[in-house]
Amino acid sequence: MPLDAIPVVAVPPGLRAGELSGNAPALLREIAEMVRRLLSEGETSAIDLQALPLTPADLEWLREQLGEGEIAVTLNADGESSLNETACPGVWWVTHRNPKGAVVSEFLEVAFVPELVKAHQDDVVIGLEHLELLISDLS
Amino acid sequence: MQGPLIETLARQGVTRRTFMKFCATLASAMALPPSAGRAMAEAMAAAPAASKRPSVIWLPFQECTGCTESITRSHSPTLEGLIFDVISLDYQETLMAAAGHQAEEALHAAMAANDGKYLLIVDGSIPLGLDGAYSCIAGKSNLETLKEVAKGAAAIVAMGSCAAYGGLPHANPNPTGAVSVSDIIKDKPIINIPGCPPIPTVITGVLAHFLTFGSLPELDKHGRPKAFYGETIHDRCYRRPFYDQGKFAKTFDDQGARNGWCLFELGCKGPVTYNACATVKWNGGTSWPVESGHGCLGCSEPDFWDAGGFYKALSMPADPLKLAAKAAVVGAAAGVAVSFVNRGKKSAAKSAHETTTLADLEK
Repeated sequence: MPLDAIPVVAVPPGLRAGELSGNAPALLREIAEMVRRLLSEGETSAIDLQALPLTPADLEWLREQLGEGEIAVTLNADGESSLNETACPGVWWVTHRNPKGAVVSEFLEVAFVPELVKAHQDDVVIGLEHLELLISDLS
Repeated sequence: MQGPLIETLARQGVTRRTFMKFCATLASAMALPPSAGRAMAEAMAAAPAASKRPSVIWLPFQECTGCTESITRSHSPTLEGLIFDVISLDYQETLMAAAGHQAEEALHAAMAANDGKYLLIVDGSIPLGLDGAYSCIAGKSNLETLKEVAKGAAAIVAMGSCAAYGGLPHANPNPTGAVSVSDIIKDKPIINIPGCPPIPTVITGVLAHFLTFGSLPELDKHGRPKAFYGETIHDRCYRRPFYDQGKFAKTFDDQGARNGWCLFELGCKGPVTYNACATVKWNGGTSWPVESGHGCLGCSEPDFWDAGGFYKALSMPADPLKLAAKAAVVGAAAGVAVSFVNRGKKSAAKSAHETTTLADLEK
């Protein structure tokens, strides 16, 4: 008997891949609130998309609603990560993948620039040392 | 290996951003708010790496090696592996190459060299019956070994339900007189990581916390880290909407089960069980018991083997005293559990009278 002949639904309707659970629209209001806080207090925040009961269809819907912005950042660190601005500036769709390409975590980050994109002070210091080494090699 | 951890990692080719990404993912797995990932990355990056790799001694007592099986199947090994390069696992019977006298020598050498500083991991319960003769290593009872090794430990991790609460060996009638680590050791910090077995990410997350912050994470009243055991399975369950709608599977192959409805009436212990299965899942995030169609057994709660039956609904009216005891055990959740009882009582009573399937399963 083929597997699909067994009449068992492991994932209930409303949580199946192709169906909307109705949980996504509420997120738009939360994001709007987060953006307001960013504007008034300069406070950055994030939503862990994997901690919420969202179906692939919900995520797709959310992605469509938020649209694509002008900036797409790719980070190569233990697998590829993408930090893409949505059509709403200040709202970033952050997806972390492992070296095999599987999504390990996914966030909506509200910030002027995502934290990961900024260079850390200590790393800049190391970069400067490297530059000075390059310059000293010139002479 | 002096200097902050981040420098140690940098020498191994791990950049700051890789590390921050790891922390963000770890925070997500630990069901912490996203901001915790950044805080964790900052604290961990700045934490001084030890001048010597901290020694870890792992003692297996009356156990089935399921906990070791679980941790060796940790699915994101790349960075967790690196974190573990930072420790020195000096004694672990199953994983170490040495055996017999050599293994025991390694144990005593590690204890002497790291007195007062090593981390002791225990899996398995400690049998007290027949003067501990039920489980011995190198001619010593587990009780003797535990007392001896615990003396010089900085902290003890009780890995799995057996070490944390006595587990399966402790189940009624407890023929070997099995007890937990905390029943014996009273003067050391003990962290319980219950589960049968515990989730690999939980094990590695707690160890990473201890190794980077040098302290134990915040614990609940059962000695469990709140980060992983802060919410019930039920609260995070994807089938929760069906509970709220009163849609329950009554047997394992009825229409409700096929529709993926709530497994409460089939004995799911999700409402009184604190663990991270519903979010972290198993086998690299593939699935977890409830997603496979079976209720939660409550394996991370004390005495889950004796909690009245895996296939009896929490609200089963036949045994109200036991339920009351269970509700008292879970303390903070008691109020919640009682409201479940009232709401589920009527339908559970009905199903108890109508089906023989559940009773059969109990035999």
